Amino acid sequence: MDALIEPLSQAFLVRALVCGVLVGGLCAALGVFVVQRGLSFIGDGLAHAAFGGIAIGLLFEIETEHATWVALPFTVAVALGIAFLLRTGKLHGDVATGVFFSVSFALGVLLLSLREPTRPVVNVESILFGSLLAIGPTDLLVVVVTSLVAAIFLGTFWGRLAYATFDPELARLSGVPVARLDYVLLALTAVVIVVSVQTVGVVLVSSFVVLPAATANLLVRSLGRATAIAIALGAGGAAFGLFASYHLDVPSGATIILSLGAVFFGTLIAKR
Amino acid sequence: MNEPSEPVFEAEHVTHRFGDEVVLDDVSFVARAGEVLCVVGPNGAGKSTLVRIALGLLVPTEGRVIVRGGPIGYVPQRKVLPKGFPARVEELIVANLRGRWPWRIRVGERERTLRALDAVGASTLYGKALAALSGGELQRVFLARALVLEPKLLVLDEPETGVDTEGRREIVELLHRLSCDAAFAAILVSHHPEVVARMAHRVLYLDRRVVACGLPSELFGRAGLVSIGDPRLRSTRQAATDEGTWTR
Repeated sequence: MDALIEPLSQAFLVRALVCGVLVGGLCAALGVFVVQRGLSFIGDGLAHAAFGGIAIGLLFEIETEHATWVALPFTVAVALGIAFLLRTGKLHGDVATGVFFSVSFALGVLLLSLREPTRPVVNVESILFGSLLAIGPTDLLVVVVTSLVAAIFLGTFWGRLAYATFDPELARLSGVPVARLDYVLLALTAVVIVVSVQTVGVVLVSSFVVLPAATANLLVRSLGRATAIAIALGAGGAAFGLFASYHLDVPSGATIILSLGAVFFGTLIAKR
Repeated sequence: MNEPSEPVFEAEHVTHRFGDEVVLDDVSFVARAGEVLCVVGPNGAGKSTLVRIALGLLVPTEGRVIVRGGPIGYVPQRKVLPKGFPARVEELIVANLRGRWPWRIRVGERERTLRALDAVGASTLYGKALAALSGGELQRVFLARALVLEPKLLVLDEPETGVDTEGRREIVELLHRLSCDAAFAAILVSHHPEVVARMAHRVLYLDRRVVACGLPSELFGRAGLVSIGDPRLRSTRQAATDEGTWTR
């Protein structure tokens, strides 16, 4: 029990825990739809777009921790661009995502190289791999507000999103505004990805989206239950990984993702 | 068919173009309560476009369609279910009732779902995963999904597609039984002459425009073949082969 209580005496760990649990649950809830729509790659794509957005902010001499405010509209614009390409039916999801992914990341690398040499060195590693333990009170507030807005949206539109995910045409016939929901879902995913990049970083955030949903799909025959299980796995995996990383003195983001990965592979083997 | 009943569906001078290509050209017809109108025709005849317009998924370039009263029940061509989507039979049916996918099924919804499944002889499928169903079972579930709305108009888009011969026979008998004592109008798109022969009260032969529309006896010969002597049919692409199958 001490292993649980002792770390919580430190404020930064409490912030990290709350942030990790919220981000983990939120990414998992969105992940259920993302995975079912065959867009698992989009987490990666939007995270790398966020990197491009952060680089734009850094070019304009905005500090790293505030550059996410530039990344946010940039990534949302990329998400809407992907949604538009998907709706035209001219490109598959992985192709559309791949195009934006590579262009945004290349843009980020290019823009970082254009910074004045006299400017402070950017810690690219913290952008790529996140720094959950460095979450400040303001960052936490952003995560809490984002989670609240996303939870209200998902709670309100879960049934319509699920129907449109199952079959857009049948959903449309039942009066579901499929096109609008597609755009909102991807825009919301972009917002959550940008917020999450701070916790687990550009490279690992897509695992937060994909792993809990993929595991839940192996376990149940109902999308409602799959959603509940994915949220529990995402939030629980974040908490477990954080405590484990604290006691093992290893990077928190990687430990969280490895914990979720272990549950996925364990489930996969058990279900064979 | 006794006295003609009120039209449930009317297409009035419907024309639809995709770019410069005319897919439907001045198509007019009615479907009345209690009748099954079979729409037949070769590939590219505009049948799918007509279905999409009837369902309200497409707005015709010219003309209009009128649906009188009640919701439209729709049985699609055999659906390729999204791989790995964890869905059960009752969830698919209740989604049509609610207009959104259910997290939980309420008692009233359960009863209506069971009634609809019972009507298509599939009440034992309640609780089963969609992914575990055969082609015939899946089409029965989609039929129950349509019937649960108690529709005035039922649109069936090649419901026998993807079903084996035995399953097709069962589906046709089921549809025939339902149509005999139903108050709805049914628009049935099919390529199979045996389906049309068994089901149709009237047949509409479409090849972008209405080539012929009338009683099956007017369009079918004694052996169940299309009346290829009809000069209007002869002028279209080959409507039927000597083996008695609609060409696609």
